Amino acid sequence: MNTSPGIDGLLEGVVLGIGNELMPYLSNEKAQASAAMMQSILQAVRQIIPMFDAALIDEHNAMTVTLRTAAECLAAVTGEEADAVRARASSIGQRADYPAPPDREEVVRAHTDLGRALEASILDLDVIQREGGAPGAAADEALAVIRAHLAPRYLRDFQAITVGAGFLGRS
Amino acid sequence: MNVQLAEYLHRHLGDVDHVVVEDLVPIPGGFSRETFRFDARVTRGGVEEVLPLILRKNPPSAAAILETSRQVEHELLEAIRAHTEIPVSRSYGAETDTSVFGEAAMVIERMHGKSQTSELFNGGVDASQADAVMRHLCEVLVELHTTEVATLNVGGQLSDPRGVGIDASSWDAYMDSTFEYYVSSYPSLNYDPAAMIMLDAALTLRRHKPRPLPLCLVHGDFNPANFLYDEGRVTALIDWENSRVGDPREDLGWMVAMDGMSNTAVMSHPRDEGGFLAYYNKLTGFAVTSEELGYFILFGTMNIAVPVASAIKRRVDHEHEQFLHLYLLQPSSATLVAFTQLLGYPGAPA
Repeated sequence: MNTSPGIDGLLEGVVLGIGNELMPYLSNEKAQASAAMMQSILQAVRQIIPMFDAALIDEHNAMTVTLRTAAECLAAVTGEEADAVRARASSIGQRADYPAPPDREEVVRAHTDLGRALEASILDLDVIQREGGAPGAAADEALAVIRAHLAPRYLRDFQAITVGAGFLGRS
Repeated sequence: MNVQLAEYLHRHLGDVDHVVVEDLVPIPGGFSRETFRFDARVTRGGVEEVLPLILRKNPPSAAAILETSRQVEHELLEAIRAHTEIPVSRSYGAETDTSVFGEAAMVIERMHGKSQTSELFNGGVDASQADAVMRHLCEVLVELHTTEVATLNVGGQLSDPRGVGIDASSWDAYMDSTFEYYVSSYPSLNYDPAAMIMLDAALTLRRHKPRPLPLCLVHGDFNPANFLYDEGRVTALIDWENSRVGDPREDLGWMVAMDGMSNTAVMSHPRDEGGFLAYYNKLTGFAVTSEELGYFILFGTMNIAVPVASAIKRRVDHEHEQFLHLYLLQPSSATLVAFTQLLGYPGAPA
């Protein structure tokens, strides 16, 4: 997957594109309002994505605690409804916590660093390949390892963006 | 723009009394130009005639993917018309004063012929013409590739039209300087580490230089959409903006690549000659092999990929906000898969 531009960069580009390349040419007020609402939704998505996974897990883990704590408050209460609350606390409320997701920016940086390392290795291998002989053959083999790693990635990226209407003219 | 066009035609047509521009409409076409079709109603000595014309205009510089000169393209078209039988548009002259049309532009003759070349294939309405048209197309290409370079390379401007240090003084110098261009361009196009396959491609091309052939003028975008035809003949070879001095196999390789992507079958014709390559080899004696074509598919794809990926990087780096350049990431992902095939990556799709 590309880290540059990442998801945020793509969404930002669409927001800017709507503003710069569509809105100035819309003469219909309703269309202008729709375009502005599209920008607003996309901007919201940009803001949601960075915190979405962490918020989901945080809320999941907090809800199990909440169910259990609420049930404890009903310790002296009897009846069908109180039993139901306790039952939830002792079933779904006992689920294990999910671990906090890794920091996305940190993962992106680590991914980019490794990508740049492979890139630099291709350059170094080329120098050895041009020397020929046994070192050249070894470098050929090393390049084949890198290529074998990359091939399925390019195919996966392509397939990810060509599904459905993801690629103009291919839907 | 009608007024500017009429004034331009007054200047370039010479002894005309009156010019009226009609039916100016934008049309798709060209590598990265803005193209318009229009008619000019011209009165000369009391006699009126209608000239079918095309305006080819540079895009705004921020949006430009490939910087080329309309003046050079004008001079090339006129040289081809003067010295060969290759059917091309007459060019009426380049307008390099950007205050006239907003950007540099040129006006050319709108040639007769059908542009829907897909109708020649896959049971299209003109499928019966395919053999004859491809035979002529091959002959046209052969004439281009066998015409003395100096005849068409007016002022030497097509030796290095991008101004990137290409040395066309010999085949080896051309290839070596082009490898250098591809490799040294990499820092300006690696918008993401995933672009490293383009570095691999450039280095692999350099390590496996093929046998030499005489340099020639190449069309530079020889593909199934860049010719017009009628009644079994090519009526025009169009879109010369990427033309330059190069190896003749570049045009063949690019046609093979685009033939596959376009679902056309140019390379299968003329059938009685064993296909386009066999007929080309028969006419030129170049004996180009399918392995060499594979090499030049990659070589030619890099020639286009370098400016396209550089344009993407300029957008990713926020040098401008052109949306098109961001959108180019999508077709580029298909190109990167094609690179895995051309480079024989283990596990690449067949």
